[in-house]
Amino acid sequence: MSVDTLSTTFAALADPTRRAILARLTTGEASVTELAQPFDMTLPAVSKHLKVLERAGLITRGREAQWRPCRLKASPLKDVADWVGHYRAFWEQSFDRLDQYLTELQAKEHEHDSESP
Amino acid sequence: MPQSQSEAAIESVAGEFVFTRVIDASRERVWQAFTESERLMQWWGPAGFTMLAANVDLRPGGAFHYGMRAPDGSEVWGKWVYREIVPPERLTVIASFSDEAADITRHPYSPDWPLELLSTMTLIEHEGRTTVTVQAVPHSATEIERRTFEDARDSMDEGYTGTLDKLAEYLAKV
Repeated sequence: MSVDTLSTTFAALADPTRRAILARLTTGEASVTELAQPFDMTLPAVSKHLKVLERAGLITRGREAQWRPCRLKASPLKDVADWVGHYRAFWEQSFDRLDQYLTELQAKEHEHDSESP
Repeated sequence: MPQSQSEAAIESVAGEFVFTRVIDASRERVWQAFTESERLMQWWGPAGFTMLAANVDLRPGGAFHYGMRAPDGSEVWGKWVYREIVPPERLTVIASFSDEAADITRHPYSPDWPLELLSTMTLIEHEGRTTVTVQAVPHSATEIERRTFEDARDSMDEGYTGTLDKLAEYLAKV
């Protein structure tokens, strides 16, 4: 089975440099040079990160004449946020049930204890 | 998507999903609840779901295979393949959706959702209460990262070999 898109997105976001690049792009498009600026890193190294982000569908590279602006594509991020929301809800509810189950279990045991001679 | 939501999404990922809850019970109790079939049948699953099955084969490579009936009547099956079992403190599994035959399937609601999650649950007890932490990351993501890391490492090796060759040349001349 091919890799699901969420896994690809997670892998792209696992690197702190790539996360910082994306955070920068949430404020607007930027050139590779601009994006490289905050990092102690060569342009080729930054380009490698941009390739990963592009392959994951998180950014697009424009084809304007002089430069190729990088732009954020928000929909994979929204998919991640949706999934995290669902998964969090699953655990919230599961733990609610665990809580209830253990409380009842411990209450029954105390009843039992108080009944014994 | 508003900027703040994008930023929140980026940070919420940061490689992993983490969820923590404090349970008013000892570690042993919580561990039993997660690893014993009869107990799992009594509490596992979200609100409104009823348990159909909870088969537990508690050993590395074994699995917790469960089935639930959703409020709308449909069946949802899941599987936790055990990787690491350290009672009563840590459980590492590969969690996925499944069918009744225990084969792995896509998520019933969305094909984009992770096929397999590498999840670690840790239990820490303090004064009779247990903090349960669940960390999960899409398993394929870790595989992609590993491959990406290996690709990068391979190209680093090439660069390194080049440098060593030059050093050898230089030393030969001296």
